Amino acid sequence: MSTTKTKWNVNFKVYRKKGQNPSHYDQFTLEVDPDEYVLDAIERIWAFHDRSLTFRHACHHSTCGACGMLVNGVEKLSCITYIRDVVEDGGTLVIDPMRNFPVVSDLVVDMSLFFDRLEMVGQRQVVPVSDETIGDGKKAQSPTNGKEYLRLSDCIECGLCISACPIAATNPDYLGPAILAGAQQNGLDRKPELLQIVDQENGLWRCHSVYECTAVCPSNVDPAWRIMDLRRQVTAQRLKRLFR
Amino acid sequence: MIQSTSGPKTGETFWLWFLKIITGLFIILLLLIHFVVNHFVAEGGLLTYADVVAYYRIPIIPIMEIAFLIIVVSHALIGLRSIILDLRPSRQTLTAINWLFVVIGIVSVVYGIWLIQVIVAKGSA
Amino acid sequence: MMSEPSRKSGISQAIRWFDPRGRDIGTIAFILNRITALGLTFYLFLHLIVLGQLAQGAEAYDGFLATIRSPIYIFGELLVIAAGLYHGLNGIRVGLTSFGIAVPQQKKLFYWLLAIAVLGSLIFGIRMFTA
Repeated sequence: MSTTKTKWNVNFKVYRKKGQNPSHYDQFTLEVDPDEYVLDAIERIWAFHDRSLTFRHACHHSTCGACGMLVNGVEKLSCITYIRDVVEDGGTLVIDPMRNFPVVSDLVVDMSLFFDRLEMVGQRQVVPVSDETIGDGKKAQSPTNGKEYLRLSDCIECGLCISACPIAATNPDYLGPAILAGAQQNGLDRKPELLQIVDQENGLWRCHSVYECTAVCPSNVDPAWRIMDLRRQVTAQRLKRLFR
Repeated sequence: MIQSTSGPKTGETFWLWFLKIITGLFIILLLLIHFVVNHFVAEGGLLTYADVVAYYRIPIIPIMEIAFLIIVVSHALIGLRSIILDLRPSRQTLTAINWLFVVIGIVSVVYGIWLIQVIVAKGSA
Repeated sequence: MMSEPSRKSGISQAIRWFDPRGRDIGTIAFILNRITALGLTFYLFLHLIVLGQLAQGAEAYDGFLATIRSPIYIFGELLVIAAGLYHGLNGIRVGLTSFGIAVPQQKKLFYWLLAIAVLGSLIFGIRMFTA
């Protein structure tokens, strides 16, 4: 079957930064299939136009969380972002690294502190089905045959929520949505020492209900809801302690 | 271990945050009352100096207005401090801000109580 | 040893709080909340200072009241009312969700509260400028 696939011409303005040199944007005009993903185009830029372009990618199916970046100023997982959803034929796509992380090289940011913090709150990669929630606080239903079913945790540790958070922009000490969500998912009852970690100035109380984290999360974590739920729990604990 | 060493102790912050919300709630109520009585209870509102003096002769009014003042000033200063904390101040800066805000708060409330007392005194002259 | 990559933070980044480009409605709510907070705080202290005129007696105060009847001041007062309405109503949303109440409905709640704030401001505006 022969079909003439639509081809678009799209301009890519890609953020470049090497070492201590000032950052700048490089322009590449590519012929793309609008049903391709932004990551595909970036890969082609690297493969055929500029081998010095540095970027992260691995699974190409929104499981590893490696390819988070800004596409026209909005946090996206580039492997699942259709080109047709973010630009038109003849248009321009501006590609930037995620915000609020130090830039290592071009589109790659330093996420070591982020990963350290996730470990600190015990973010679990594999969780019992009954431990995870499916948005809006509803608990996932585990099959009732007595077996413990496990699933991969929703959070793929991509960092998009940190990038979108305005408080993470000005305060690098703020734990941030992913970390607080990880603490909530782990559970204050399972790990009581989490209380000390989240109930501090740069923990739960720095959130200002912007809800951008939930808006950009590609994986149904709903970190904003989890932060509010943690607040509810901590408030209940503290008030109970007062009136004991 | 990643710790925030420049901030207050665990738990201290919770109460300030909790107070911000509680004072916010009270402001909604008190502001409604404050606005309604200032503009609608007296005929056409408090339009002259004499109106204000008469208004403050009602015993509950100075109490209500002082409570309102304390609550609003607390909410405003906790809120401002919150904005400053978003900017990751150093420990010294934060300590200075804490003291400055306590002073501003006390001065504002004392000033307000003094002013109300002056008006009340005029009313009983 | 490779030098640690650093990132900007603090006040230099604060302007980004107020940049709504590419952001969702929650950022608009946050921006407006912060702006009204600062505006209302400024008004609070202005109000306290100005009321000091009361202590100077009837002529000073009544004279002052005559000044603030001009349109510029009335418009300023309308801004204060609009700011207070918005900040208070959005504050209800922030307070509720911060205790884990109505979180899934927070966006819808925001739109309703914003509508009430806008409507209230319009009503006040009409009353204040046609009185």
